[in-house]
Amino acid sequence: MELIKQAAIRLLLAMCLFVAGCTVVQPWERGNLAKSQMALEPNPLQTGLRAHINGSREAAAVGNAAQGGGCGCY
Amino acid sequence: MQRKEAVVVAIKASKGNGHKLPENASLLALTSAALVLPGLFSPLANAAETDEVDFQYSHYQEGKRSISSGIIDPVSGDNTVAGIKNTFNPIEVDSLHGHANVTLTDRIKFAFNYTQDTWGGATPIATAPAVFGGNAELVSADGLTVVGATPYLQGFNQVLLDSKLNPVQFATPFDPTSGLIRNNQLSHTLATASPETRKQGDFKLTYEWDEVALSGGGGISVEDDYESRFGNIGGRWDLNQKRTTLNLDLSYTNSDTHATLNHDTLPYIDIKAYDLRGQIDTLSSVADAQILHGNRQDWGTHFGVSQVLNKDALMSADVSYTRSTGYMANPYKAVSVVFIDPGQQTNAPPGGFEGRLKALLEQRPDERNQWNLGGRYVQYLHNLDAALHFDYRFSADDWGIQAHTFEADWVQPLGSGWTVTPRVRYYSQDAADFYTPWLVSQQAYKQKFDAKGHAVGLSYDPGKLPANFSSDQRLSGFGALSGGISVTKRFAKGLSLETGFEYYTHQGSFKIGGGGEGSYADFDYWVANAALKVDLAALSLGGGSIANAHAGHTHFDHGGQAPAGVMFSHMLHQAGDFMVGYRYMYGNQSGNMLHGTDPVSDQAIVANGCGLNPCFLRPGSMTMHMHMLDLMYAPTDWLTLMLMPQFVDMSMSMGALNGAPDPQTVLDFNLSQHIPHHIQSGHETGGIGDLGMYAMFKLFDKGIHHVHATAGLSAPTGDVDIQLARNHQVDGGFIDYGMQLGSGTWDFKPSLTYTGQLDQLSWGTQANGIVRMDSQNKSGYALGNLFQATAWGGYNLTHWLIASVRGIYTLQDSIQGQFNGRINQFGPMDYPSNYGGQYWDVGFGLSAVVPSGDLAGNRLSVEWLQPVEDKVNGYQLERDGALSATWSVMF
Repeated sequence: MELIKQAAIRLLLAMCLFVAGCTVVQPWERGNLAKSQMALEPNPLQTGLRAHINGSREAAAVGNAAQGGGCGCY
Repeated sequence: MQRKEAVVVAIKASKGNGHKLPENASLLALTSAALVLPGLFSPLANAAETDEVDFQYSHYQEGKRSISSGIIDPVSGDNTVAGIKNTFNPIEVDSLHGHANVTLTDRIKFAFNYTQDTWGGATPIATAPAVFGGNAELVSADGLTVVGATPYLQGFNQVLLDSKLNPVQFATPFDPTSGLIRNNQLSHTLATASPETRKQGDFKLTYEWDEVALSGGGGISVEDDYESRFGNIGGRWDLNQKRTTLNLDLSYTNSDTHATLNHDTLPYIDIKAYDLRGQIDTLSSVADAQILHGNRQDWGTHFGVSQVLNKDALMSADVSYTRSTGYMANPYKAVSVVFIDPGQQTNAPPGGFEGRLKALLEQRPDERNQWNLGGRYVQYLHNLDAALHFDYRFSADDWGIQAHTFEADWVQPLGSGWTVTPRVRYYSQDAADFYTPWLVSQQAYKQKFDAKGHAVGLSYDPGKLPANFSSDQRLSGFGALSGGISVTKRFAKGLSLETGFEYYTHQGSFKIGGGGEGSYADFDYWVANAALKVDLAALSLGGGSIANAHAGHTHFDHGGQAPAGVMFSHMLHQAGDFMVGYRYMYGNQSGNMLHGTDPVSDQAIVANGCGLNPCFLRPGSMTMHMHMLDLMYAPTDWLTLMLMPQFVDMSMSMGALNGAPDPQTVLDFNLSQHIPHHIQSGHETGGIGDLGMYAMFKLFDKGIHHVHATAGLSAPTGDVDIQLARNHQVDGGFIDYGMQLGSGTWDFKPSLTYTGQLDQLSWGTQANGIVRMDSQNKSGYALGNLFQATAWGGYNLTHWLIASVRGIYTLQDSIQGQFNGRINQFGPMDYPSNYGGQYWDVGFGLSAVVPSGDLAGNRLSVEWLQPVEDKVNGYQLERDGALSATWSVMF
């Protein structure tokens, strides 16, 4: 239960940040947001690869633990 | 067994021709959120904005781990603990990833991913105090030099502990009166694994409305000892004129373990707990292999939101939950347990205990609930035109692991299509509640027998041990710091190249708040990757040959219609043209063993297939897959340059030969024990193959006839020194010649091609060869030279589809020289004379070109080669056939 409570508090915090920080951005004002460096994930292939490797090296619920996991010795 | 996988239901935020709308980049699918979901969500299935095809290769290289043992100090003669030379090759992984994202109709998108990893090397299988003497030094044959450590799980049968259960040793070897020295230094025991390959395919179908999208997907991942199937559904909703996007996904994964337990380590590792649960089968058909079975299921759900904050910043946040049940342990990892028998303490040191060291297969809970919460903030920096990305993620589960991840990326465009992204990442986790490097149990380890003398039950009382225990470093407390850089170059015409490098160091002392695992478990790695991305939409906007295809002007140009299996069949049309293609080849051998053209009996192979030695094994099947990139550029009208990187993987199964002598009577005992490994596990290899570089010269090009010559060079980038794992105290030696990834020599590859076309008919012929320019490669041998002649005819069934028939003759010499290091010769494939021969095949093919639409000009071809006759050198496995499939687009 303690974990769930912690998670809920953190999620609420994040939501509050959203609401407080928002301003109305019209479509014609989104020139900078449209730049490739502003993409939430600018290098999806490499990010995928790194998540794949970290997932097989770390216990956190991060990414996909697929790599070589069948043996697990990897 | 840290694995679960599924495809993410990340949904692309743009729709229709949305990639042209400015706001969409900022609302690009919540890929990032999806990437950090609990294992169920595959990072590789990210949503692409537009129709594109990507290829990525990566190499992972771990550093050597330090190991230590209790030894006698050569100077003082006293007992001590010292580092041991680690001669094991660390883990290495070669990975290939292909991704395609295409628009099927205006509202339906289809994405497909293919991934494969081949890995091999040494990894920890257990941990124990070094004074217990595991990892004993391995001495060379002459007894003079220490060449490495043996992977024993225990050195001495008896181990000593003080009154507080600390590991101790006598100050002077074998002298109980010399006093005790306490030493808590721990060490891993490492074991090597022969190369192994995993393959994964997954897809996602998305239907898009104006502000809502729904998607479904699934996939499968297969390797020798693990298979995973997964499916998922998801939805996306854009709000507030796309300033806000919500995502909700649900996924399910079902995974089976069927791990062959290494019979070399079985005498040291107690697997009885799993045996009593019915999870272990003995397969008498494959040399009595002991197989551990397990099933696991994962349900995951994820909710994410992304929000445009202002015209220079955006943010995303997500929460996810995963519930896993079933077998989640690693079938190859054990925990060292010291059993202290109260009734047997005659050799105990004063005030201390004597114990017996045994390793038990690790046991993890069969249930896990994981929560994950994360956020990302992206800020545009005006003066630098750069973007700064911050990520934080918190993860917690009911195994007692809490983890924090911090990451910062600086994405800096430099002009002319260049972008550089340095990044840094810090990670810290607590240990799982049941993590323990080793255990002490106050009880005897003793096998019990029933009245008839049959062994029954466990050799220990599980009630006196924890319910779960694991010494897997992934469950220990540690921190990790990594940093890297990515460089991207965007070319005109929709092509991009990406490359990246990252260094990662795992250290117990990096854990937040301290208390992490000892430094004995520290390790590091680097990973490098290179990717080619082809934006199909940009190609079709860019003109060139695709624009011609749009106008219905050209469908199959000279030579372009050659069957899929013909390489170097066509040149580019005019100066400045590019072509990007992908070529897949599959070949399989199985069935009869041949000598010349005729099937032979096992007895004949035993007697004659292995030179003066008897044969013990024969190949049962041999499968090869090749993935090639086909990059062409025409600097002038009469010259086309071509670069062809390759990725190869192979697998081979082996069986015992009837009538072979008992290996133990002919071979050294330990060596003879390698033969069951070959039968039980087969062999797999994979990685980069040789790199081809070609120049094609136009000799004649008038009307219906076209002739060109190709001069090529193949660089020896593929490995020719892959070795099998050491076991039973004998090196595995080189894996056979046919399983190595390249030729190892610089090769000259000339060819001459003629093609013709008249109305609905097309035809062609080609002669090509491979000449090895070195007499031997670094491993001491050279593959045979090759000559091939082929001729084909094709007919246009419609304006976009051609059917073809082809004949092929191939002649290849046997291998020259032989391995200049150890090779354990058990079967015909281990002898150079059993390679090469003459081969006759007939091919049936189809070639299609997309006639219109966004993908106009994309060309797809397949061809099946059916063997007509084999005339092999020596003793070889019969061929079943080969498949070629190609995709290409010119622009």
